[in-house]
Amino acid sequence: MPAITLKNVTKSYRSITVLNQLNLEIRENVITGLVGRNGVGKTTLMKMVAGFIKESDGELRVLGERPFNSLKVSANMIFIDDMMGFPDALTLGDLLTECDRFYENWDQDLAMRLLKYFKLPLSLNHRVLSKGKRSTFNAVVGIATRCPLTMFDEPITGMDAGARRDFYRALLKDYLAHPRTILLSSHHMEEMEDLLEDILLIDGKDSAFHGSITELQEKFISLQGKENVLKQYANRYAVIHKSSAGPLTEWIVDNDHTNLELTELKQAGIRVSAVSASEAYLAMTGQTRGGVDDVFDAMERE
Amino acid sequence: MLEMDGEKPIYIQIAEWLETEIIEGTLQADDKVYSQYQLADLFNINPATAGKGLTILLDAELIYKKRGLGTFVSADAREKLLTKRKGGRLSRLVQELLNEAALLGLQEEQLIELIRAERKERS
Repeated sequence: MPAITLKNVTKSYRSITVLNQLNLEIRENVITGLVGRNGVGKTTLMKMVAGFIKESDGELRVLGERPFNSLKVSANMIFIDDMMGFPDALTLGDLLTECDRFYENWDQDLAMRLLKYFKLPLSLNHRVLSKGKRSTFNAVVGIATRCPLTMFDEPITGMDAGARRDFYRALLKDYLAHPRTILLSSHHMEEMEDLLEDILLIDGKDSAFHGSITELQEKFISLQGKENVLKQYANRYAVIHKSSAGPLTEWIVDNDHTNLELTELKQAGIRVSAVSASEAYLAMTGQTRGGVDDVFDAMERE
Repeated sequence: MLEMDGEKPIYIQIAEWLETEIIEGTLQADDKVYSQYQLADLFNINPATAGKGLTILLDAELIYKKRGLGTFVSADAREKLLTKRKGGRLSRLVQELLNEAALLGLQEEQLIELIRAERKERS
């Protein structure tokens, strides 16, 4: 049974439709990366799954139940983001004690050890933590709760490079020992690519890609060379994205070539390389270098 | 599998790493191979991705499964790999060498002379 099922789910705020007729299933005990550009509805989707907000239309099932007002979903789910509010009167130590009381699978020993490692004193108040330290504390809570459904929305905000690496490592280690359904959204896909099993790419009110990370890694290939050579040899391929840096032009094309074709391209002096999942994502959402150049080029012309 | 330039996907890197372990003899016939969870921990990657690396070796019958015990190196794995690398990887390296030589306008004799000189330096 999938952990999360959406059938024709729509979410609108007054006249604005954020998610339109979304259909998807999130597999149980799999780490899924949720990616997409700013404002496409990643947070809305997660909050709906968490039961914090109600779907406007369609059928949403989380752990077999409709999440809104569901105690079962609340007790078996945790949603971590940088807006998490904790009572001012409680110290970090108190917060851990409360988590221990509420969450069945909570690992107090792990939480204490991780806080010590990240130099977060138990006596501190959550409110006084720096941005990065707050994210780190929240992330520790997210790992130690060991909820059957664990969701992180931009968990690494403000964390330095070392803390981010430690977070990914800690999450993987704990997942290997205690497999569970993890949904992780981030704008730094290149950092978390290897951690993921599945990718869900939301783009313009819809899911543009949902599948395994290896499927996305094999979806495209990159051809680099002189533009006239590319035009001569590679014009028959469907080009997803074009960009150029100096004299070299890169085309990202569908990966449906035979070895013979690849040999031909290479002999023509074209460099053929694999496209990582994060590069594929950037190309599919038009985030590669060169896009914003069009704005300045247009201004110069006018 | 298509042959690419540059960095390969991580599960292919893992398959190639295991192959090299077998060629070098670190992993010998009937030795137990790392589980997908050990590989995930070792390479800091998702266990499903590590599993795909193992599947490449299983499909090529370089390793075999024993129910409940794990995977082990096939008796003829090293032999198979040596043949495969000679026919595959080495011939592709030669292709690349020839492309570069053509670009520089090098004749076959000059190329062979280069190889001889390099080998002499190593011995």
